[in-house]
Amino acid sequence: MKMLKVKSLFVNYGAVEALKNISLHIKEKEFVALIGSNGAGKTSLLNAIMGIVKPKDGEVIFNDKNITGFPPERKVKEKIALVLEGRRVFANMTVLENIEVGAFTSDNKNFIKRLKFIYDIFPVLKERSWQPAGMLSGGEQQMLAIARALISEPKLLLMDEPSMGLAPLVIKDVYEKLLILKETGLTIFLVEQNAAAALKYADRGYVLENGKIVLQGKSKELLEDNEIKRAYLGKEYKEKWER
Amino acid sequence: MQFFYSGITSGSIYALVAIGFNIIYNTTGIINFAQGEFVMLGGMFIYSMLYMMNIPFVLAFPVALFGAFVLGVIFERVFIRYVKVKSELNLITITIAGSIILRGLAMVIWGRDTLLVESFVPSKAINVYKGTITTDSLVVIGISLVISFLLTFFFKKTKYGKAFRACYEDKIAASVCGINVKAVVMFSFGIAAFLGAIAGVVVSPITYVTYSDGIMTGLKGFSAAVMGGLGSFWGGIFGGILLGVSESFFASVFPSGYKDAMAFLIILFILFFRPQGLFGRKKATRV
Repeated sequence: MKMLKVKSLFVNYGAVEALKNISLHIKEKEFVALIGSNGAGKTSLLNAIMGIVKPKDGEVIFNDKNITGFPPERKVKEKIALVLEGRRVFANMTVLENIEVGAFTSDNKNFIKRLKFIYDIFPVLKERSWQPAGMLSGGEQQMLAIARALISEPKLLLMDEPSMGLAPLVIKDVYEKLLILKETGLTIFLVEQNAAAALKYADRGYVLENGKIVLQGKSKELLEDNEIKRAYLGKEYKEKWER
Repeated sequence: MQFFYSGITSGSIYALVAIGFNIIYNTTGIINFAQGEFVMLGGMFIYSMLYMMNIPFVLAFPVALFGAFVLGVIFERVFIRYVKVKSELNLITITIAGSIILRGLAMVIWGRDTLLVESFVPSKAINVYKGTITTDSLVVIGISLVISFLLTFFFKKTKYGKAFRACYEDKIAASVCGINVKAVVMFSFGIAAFLGAIAGVVVSPITYVTYSDGIMTGLKGFSAAVMGGLGSFWGGIFGGILLGVSESFFASVFPSGYKDAMAFLIILFILFFRPQGLFGRKKATRV
């Protein structure tokens, strides 16, 4: 079943067209990655889905419900959560307080249960629950940002550049946590500049260039695509010709 | 010692006003220069209800505060929310405009005369160590303390208080956590007006009420907030008390007409030597 459908979405910033006629879909329990270079419109797409920016045209359908114009706080109630680019944890609040703020819309009775679930996946957050979030390392902050999104019990988790500014080993760690979450039945849609990491773990991928989707397919097929190898995986034509 | 006691009394008022500044600063990042007008309006409301409508104090007090709260919310809806370019400079200018409008309205409604408000508690001077303190002053100090503790509890322990703090740190991140940021901003204006009105009511038997009171009270409260470090509640309280006490001692040495200059002297020194204020937080960030 298609959980999220984006139908011919347009986003403009003043006269600049950031997204031109984007259509995509995400099935339940899928792990989908959208890759693209700097300025391709990745963040704009997530922001438009979440309601942080208003699309000029097009529709966002979630579980057969048209949620196009909803502001972010209503999207959270519809069980969509977004992990923002650059993590954006509340640096002067403690780790636990960050998670509590994430649970703003949810019932109190589930909180303890959810918190235990989150601490099981991210034990480091339990150890550091009384520290200000600003004191965590980049990888830990990313875990916290994911935890803050997860505490609202989303059905769909959107992520913006989870690998940004992280060391390769930490990136691997973050993606492996995402695989664990996928096992628990979570649907994940992430946008990523780091195509190699994203396509390694995702089931399916889209490629965004200059605000348009230029390619889509299974992750494995995309990893084999010559154009992607050249543009995103750092392999030159020359190297390929020689082979 | 006597100067110290009277300083603490006026200091408590400055502290309440400073907290009002800090609440709005914490959620919007702007200085609400209309804060002083809410203090004045608190006094006006209580005067109107006590002497024009003959409502008993126990009822009039909460109604005055609630009225101020509603007015604060309306203030945000009318003056702040629909501003197209929400730069800090624009918003601050608008709060100044708002304060002039409120002052003008107060002058039209209540006139230019000073209005007398009688003490809410039996007025008595109590002898304390090397001086006296009036019951009116004790009410002011007591209420300021209670409010400070309640606010700290609200911001540190309650769900909504944490939501307020989250909005201060990062509005977009707060909105994707499911917090309605616009509502938080609106309520912070309401709470700030509420606090201002508390200050206005409790001080009214001591200073009486005049339509133009708001300017000086607002500026003093602002000085106190800057002194303690903008955004820090306990800093605001400490700054308020310190300002009140130093003003009072200043007036004992120099002609009291120069008293008001003290606040601005202090502000200048703070801005020169310690711009983040005495208790200004250094943010816990890792680069």
